[in-house]
Amino acid sequence: MKQSSDILEKARRNDGMTVPEGYFADFSRQMAASLPERPEIEHPSAAFVGAARRTLWQRVRPYAYMAAMFAGIWLMLQVFTLVTNPGDLRPIDSNPVMAEALGNDSFILNYIVDDAGMDQWDVIDEMVEDGTIDEADFSGLANPADVSSSLDEE
Amino acid sequence: MSEMPVPNDELVERLRHPASVREAFTEVINLFSEPLYWQIRRMVQSHDDANDLLQNTFLKAWASIENFRGEAKLSTWLYKIAINESITFLARERKRAALSLDDQEAALINTIEADKDVDGDKIALRLRQAVAALPEKQRLVFNMKYYDDMKYEAISEILGTTVGALKASYHLAVKKIEQFFSGDD
Repeated sequence: MKQSSDILEKARRNDGMTVPEGYFADFSRQMAASLPERPEIEHPSAAFVGAARRTLWQRVRPYAYMAAMFAGIWLMLQVFTLVTNPGDLRPIDSNPVMAEALGNDSFILNYIVDDAGMDQWDVIDEMVEDGTIDEADFSGLANPADVSSSLDEE
Repeated sequence: MSEMPVPNDELVERLRHPASVREAFTEVINLFSEPLYWQIRRMVQSHDDANDLLQNTFLKAWASIENFRGEAKLSTWLYKIAINESITFLARERKRAALSLDDQEAALINTIEADKDVDGDKIALRLRQAVAALPEKQRLVFNMKYYDDMKYEAISEILGTTVGALKASYHLAVKKIEQFFSGDD
């Protein structure tokens, strides 16, 4: 401690640092000149008048921006839903087009039964299996066209 | 080196009035630029950095002059801003150059060796290097106590530390300076 105390005494609170000639006077002058305007504290009444003169658009602008932002978010959610769930898979019963088509027997026969590659014997087999018809009623038929006319008669 | 000036009540009062605030703040710059400069310079060592940080200190004080209500001393308020600026600058430099605290002390000592704004006093130069090797808080306390001859109570207000802790910090700083000089033997 003695040695350091000696050093601290010898240094006489002098850190040896210097500044360029006239630095502080120049600094103070330049600093004062470069202070930015603060109308709200230097001319508070003028600043208030300026605020009162704002146009209608300037006043509603924040709300317009906010509305646009919410509209954007809503739109994004719609697009997101469309992309992640492209088909509107409603049940057949609540789809009017499908309900009408399936209610039309000739549509079923011409476009579903025929196009699906099923012959009328397959239909009869399924109906017999389901118990919808009795196998004995058709045991004497050899031609599927007879089955079709038989079904039409029912 | 440069004692902290004591602004009169009239100056503080003029800072509160719109008509006189700019003129009063100009007086504040005249009064405090020198003591604040030395405080900053002793932390960052380089004149150019100290000059930039001193400008930032006054710009920040001016930007929030309406928040200065006069309950705290004007000098305490300005000192706090200046010290914050210095510490933030050192932390930013450390991050920018990816330096550890030890590396930054070494870098500060190098800055001292390269400093052209010195008066050639060898003991003063070695003491600066010893102080630059101290941890940040101890360096602040040592600078305020030794170079600015500030009272512990005033330092306590600025740094928000108890007087007891400041005394311990100064004592530790002196011990480390002693160790630094014992390496010269």
